Amino acid sequence: MTKIGLEIHCQLTKLESKLFCSCKADYRGFEPNTNICPVCIGLPGSLPRLNKKAIERATVIAMALNCQTPQKIAFFRKNYFYPDLPKNFQITQLNIYGPTSIGQEGKISVEGKEVRIRRIQIEEDPGRLIYEGSSERTQITLVDYNRAGTPLVEIVTEPDFENPKQVRLFLNILSDLLENLGVSDPSLEGAMRADANVSIEGGSKVEIKNINSFYDLEKALQFELTRQQSLAERKIEIIQETRHWDDRRKITISARSKEGEEDYRYFLEGDIPWVVIDPQIVARLKKDMPESISSKRERYIKDFDIPSQVADVLSSDKFYSDLFEQAHNKTNAKEVANLITTDLMGFVDTKEKRKESKLTAKHLSDLANAIIENKITRNSSKTVLQTIVKTGKSISQIISEFDLGHVSDEKELTRVIEEVIKEESNAVEEAKQKPETINYLVGKVMKKTKGKADATLTLNLLKKKIAEQ
Amino acid sequence: MNLGISALEYIDAIKNGDFTIEEFVSETFDRIKKVDDKLHAYLSLNEKALDQAKELDKKRKAKEKIGACMGMSVAIKDNICVKDTKTTCASKMLEKYVAPFDATVIARLRKQDTLFIGKTNLDEFAMGATTEFSAYGPSKNPWNPEYVPGGSSGGSAVAVSALESIASLGSDTGGSVRNPASFCSIVGLKPTYGLVSRYGLISYANSIEQIGPMARTVKDTAFLLNIITGIDPNDNTTVDNHGEDYLKDIDAGIDGKKIGVISEMVGKGTDKEVSSATKKALAKFEDLGAKCEEISIDMVDYSVASYYTITSTEAGSNLARYDNLRYGFDFDLEEYEFNSYISKARKNFGPEVTRRLIIGGFVPSTGHAGKYFLEALKVKSRLTKEINSAFKKVDYLVAPTVPVLPFKFGEKLDDPVAMFLIDFNTVTANLTGKPAISVPFEISNGLPIGIQIIADSMQEKSLFQAAYALESTTNLPKVPL
Amino acid sequence: MVSKEEIEHVAKLMRIELDDHAIHIDRVQKMIEYLDILDRAIKEITEPLIVNEQPLENLREDKYEPYNDKLIDKLKHYKEKFIRAPKMV
Repeated sequence: MTKIGLEIHCQLTKLESKLFCSCKADYRGFEPNTNICPVCIGLPGSLPRLNKKAIERATVIAMALNCQTPQKIAFFRKNYFYPDLPKNFQITQLNIYGPTSIGQEGKISVEGKEVRIRRIQIEEDPGRLIYEGSSERTQITLVDYNRAGTPLVEIVTEPDFENPKQVRLFLNILSDLLENLGVSDPSLEGAMRADANVSIEGGSKVEIKNINSFYDLEKALQFELTRQQSLAERKIEIIQETRHWDDRRKITISARSKEGEEDYRYFLEGDIPWVVIDPQIVARLKKDMPESISSKRERYIKDFDIPSQVADVLSSDKFYSDLFEQAHNKTNAKEVANLITTDLMGFVDTKEKRKESKLTAKHLSDLANAIIENKITRNSSKTVLQTIVKTGKSISQIISEFDLGHVSDEKELTRVIEEVIKEESNAVEEAKQKPETINYLVGKVMKKTKGKADATLTLNLLKKKIAEQ
Repeated sequence: MNLGISALEYIDAIKNGDFTIEEFVSETFDRIKKVDDKLHAYLSLNEKALDQAKELDKKRKAKEKIGACMGMSVAIKDNICVKDTKTTCASKMLEKYVAPFDATVIARLRKQDTLFIGKTNLDEFAMGATTEFSAYGPSKNPWNPEYVPGGSSGGSAVAVSALESIASLGSDTGGSVRNPASFCSIVGLKPTYGLVSRYGLISYANSIEQIGPMARTVKDTAFLLNIITGIDPNDNTTVDNHGEDYLKDIDAGIDGKKIGVISEMVGKGTDKEVSSATKKALAKFEDLGAKCEEISIDMVDYSVASYYTITSTEAGSNLARYDNLRYGFDFDLEEYEFNSYISKARKNFGPEVTRRLIIGGFVPSTGHAGKYFLEALKVKSRLTKEINSAFKKVDYLVAPTVPVLPFKFGEKLDDPVAMFLIDFNTVTANLTGKPAISVPFEISNGLPIGIQIIADSMQEKSLFQAAYALESTTNLPKVPL
Repeated sequence: MVSKEEIEHVAKLMRIELDDHAIHIDRVQKMIEYLDILDRAIKEITEPLIVNEQPLENLREDKYEPYNDKLIDKLKHYKEKFIRAPKMV
């Protein structure tokens, strides 16, 4: 049976400062080596200063993944030499003296399948290596420590995934969950990275590292599974090893280990006393936790009679659910939900668009109300939303400016219909013979009224008038 | 001008106008010029000290208030960061390293207008007991320059003892403040772990070490401690002493107090002169009204093994950052690959540091951690438990600071275990985090012997009272140099 | 006890090139031999390890404070802004 396990590193990008110092947690946009201080660059004599909110946020993540959080957590040193590691050790968490990392033994449901979380740990990100020069001979390695010390939460799953598709679904659920908790923005480059381990029936476990995106992860898993299956078919042993994903050639290659196995010489980090997390604090964090995605989804369906597909989209995207929460009331909830998931989506489907959008919850609320009160047709909503997103003008402003008032006045409509009947005598004849072609005439009325005509009323009046012809 | 005055006497003298700060600093530099070629207490001197002294004198003349230290000359061990000053840890690995920030203790002293006269010599990266492992040559004992001054804070002890500064700061991981204090006949304190901030102390064994004041009198040591203690947001391991004043009531005496002599520390391996001095000290304690009894602490016999296991492990990790990529010394990386470059660069560690790093890689490694490192942690825990029990019965624990008299250079160099055992009486206080002080007690055939007093955690006030009481029974000769 | 090969292996692990193997190895062997007495220290430990603790409330507030000095200028820098490392193989 195929077994896939994951190790996902998630940056806590929504924190203000790094894990052990007050440099900025989100290092993106800084000139190289300008987001550093003696602590994160490991200068002699520097000491780590643990970030309180990082612990709180990690505790919340652990709770969201149904993990146990111990009352006391500890930090350890993982010792190895690499240029992106300024102290040549990483401060991380382990469970060698009993449970001391921030989360243990959790679980999450992926489309009905339960995936077990082995543990969650808090640790620091290393810096970044940049390579200059083309050939291997002339290559220069440059190090930028802006990222060193950025707070990470590592989530380790049991090898419960059976295929790459489940992995992809899980990663989407996890991204949405982290975004919903308000602890991380997974869309930022490098904010979420994953390594995997893969084994097939009768084969050893192979670790795959150096995967840069979730898209690559799926490709790497597919490649690795094929590689292992082909070996098995030829009765060749699958050796236990670490392989790297080669992005250029789209294959996994064996990682040469030169000095034999690395020995990390793990021991307790003496500069950070064990942190005692009072159960009262945990209770407060739990109470203040944002509502979970699945809970929102259930609530939208149950309380507002919103169709499940709409509820899916609305609940899993924080931007949409936040808008919905602020915009809706008992009467217009379904309409607001609809507006967001059918008409608005196209205008705010990227980060940049959302950043530039001038739309507020009040706009949505007003628009939904206007549609319900027949002040504006649903047809016009797309154009209206586009304008709002671009200009931020109020509904009433737009209705008058664009003359989008709902035409439901029978007298007015009749006048337009009579105009159309006069102009489209052929179509009228056709409509008498084939009733379904009346939609063409409806369309003409719509055109004349710039889409403001009430569709139902128009249809009824047209039918009547044609019958009178 | 008497360069041998105590810190408190100096402050009074400045207040009285007996001399100016500049005059004192100038005389100090003359003294350094006279003796330091021979004694080698200092690795570097503060060229600006005289100007800084003049500035302070100017302020005083203008009736401006200056800090409590009144421009006192203090020497700083060269593993403590002083901003924009070379900080080498007596190693070739940090030959060119200039610290870009002040250690917290330095900032606190600076605020009180202390003058940092210079950085003092030590065993490389604080690993050693004689300064023989300094990459820049050893320091010499002013009582007899053929003998070691102790270590690793040898330079700091020599500076104070040879009147090259009024006081100094050292660091104590396994006895490195108390041992040289004892060998050079001055006072040296290792505070409770966490009492003094380690921010800016270049780490060797971070779960155990502390910065400690070294001075000629117990009161001076208390005065310095008042300034450098306090909770520090830059060091998560610091504890709050609620602004305790260690000078207040320092002469309260020890009448009625109970003293436990640690039997493991006065038995086999103790020089007979040291034994006899210890007995005399106990008699003095009884004269002062205390009651002495013998106390056995089992784990002491394993304390040195536990100490070296734990500290080598931590050193192996704390010194990993010295790969010469970000700072260090000149060594072109052009022809090298990463691992071969750093392996070659790290050849610049001296022989003792190299050995400790190898041990530090070995004892926590998979396959050996269970036998060495974990066992060492267990001994540390059990030792702490035993000492806590002892403090339920007595107020102080006493032993000679070093089991042996100061010895000649080269004597212990070839026998690493003999070198280990110099720390036999001092590592217990480090492993258990308890405060311990060395008080100069006797000069035996020209060689100093110090007595060590240990108190329970955060009991420095009480500790000083016992030390002060013992000190007042002594009448030691002046340093011969 | 520890063999010469093991000591050499550890020296490599610690990224230290050893020149005078013999002297170091001999001394290190003696030092590690001394540490063997830890075996005899305790038959069994029942009490948990004594550790330092701190309450969550005492930890640092999550605030961004840029470090004022331009630190990279004070370190070994390459092209003004990078740290240079030897080539990675």
